[in-house]
Amino acid sequence: MTNDTQTLADGLRRRDPDLLDRLIEQYQQRLYRYLLFLTGEPALAEDLFQETWIRVLERGHQYNAKSRFESWLFAIARHLVIDVSRRKKFRSLEELADPESSQPYEPPDPRAVSALQLLVARENEQAVQLSLLKIPAYYREVLLLRFHEELGLEEIAGVLSLPISTVKSRLYRGLDALKSLLPGGAA
Amino acid sequence: MSENLHSRAQKLLAQSLVEGLGATDQSWLDAHLIECAECSREAFNTRELLRAFRNVPVAVPRDLAARTQMRVRLRAQESAQSSSSGVLLWVIAVASWLLGVFSAPLVWRGFVWVGAQLHLPKPVLEFGFVLWWTVPALVAVAIVLHQRAVTNGFVGRGFSRDVQP
Repeated sequence: MTNDTQTLADGLRRRDPDLLDRLIEQYQQRLYRYLLFLTGEPALAEDLFQETWIRVLERGHQYNAKSRFESWLFAIARHLVIDVSRRKKFRSLEELADPESSQPYEPPDPRAVSALQLLVARENEQAVQLSLLKIPAYYREVLLLRFHEELGLEEIAGVLSLPISTVKSRLYRGLDALKSLLPGGAA
Repeated sequence: MSENLHSRAQKLLAQSLVEGLGATDQSWLDAHLIECAECSREAFNTRELLRAFRNVPVAVPRDLAARTQMRVRLRAQESAQSSSSGVLLWVIAVASWLLGVFSAPLVWRGFVWVGAQLHLPKPVLEFGFVLWWTVPALVAVAIVLHQRAVTNGFVGRGFSRDVQP
């Protein structure tokens, strides 16, 4: 436990409004990106962004300062996404709640490497962006947490409430899925 | 070069990204990537892919943070108000209970006097005495539950409206 996280926990317990303002500013990009990656809908991501911070306000006393704040924040956001998906029956987000039982993963196309080379040659970042939405949400999520947020495996497991072995498995499959969905992969 | 070596290199490459490699495996992979153009290209492509993934542009709506800050502050104020009114409610409830306990003998004497005047049987007096204490409490509980239902209904409708696409 560091002094920083302890100070943060104390502030959250006191519902310090200035602290919350600073946190909202500081984490707006990362939290919004996470929600947008999960939902794929900007308007919904905005609503969930606001609702996440309301939860942070109301449940701040539950942050125990033993974990990084962002892990706790993402876990709150994730629960909200799952709640909304249950109400609205989003296909992709339902998969987020129980991926293993929803659909078997198709192995990547063997031509994926050439597709990848094509992508790299074109430096086509937009292609990655478009491909991301075709990847099941539970792979998108772990890829984001690992390679964007640079969380450790244990931290990701904490956010997702899953064993580390499952997190690893999703990461490997997610990487394969990302490669296989790039332009030309299905050609 | 054997297919097994390529396969092992690709496996280690993925492992290095996901969970990291031990020194021995890392050395083997580094050496293999120097020798093998195909695996070296695969490693380069994967790194480029992740770089592209990290660079996916996500623009946060301009006033989202400000709107959220305002909403959080409003909620904090509402919570503080409801918390103080909750304390007041408890104080009133405790005072009412104490008053009830200490005034019960006096009220019972009143019931006995009324019963004597109206020639009512004792079970009727006892039943009336029980109602005297329970009816106001039941009415108060019903009011509180009703208010809570109205509040929750409003909040629930508000949120579900918010999440409409």
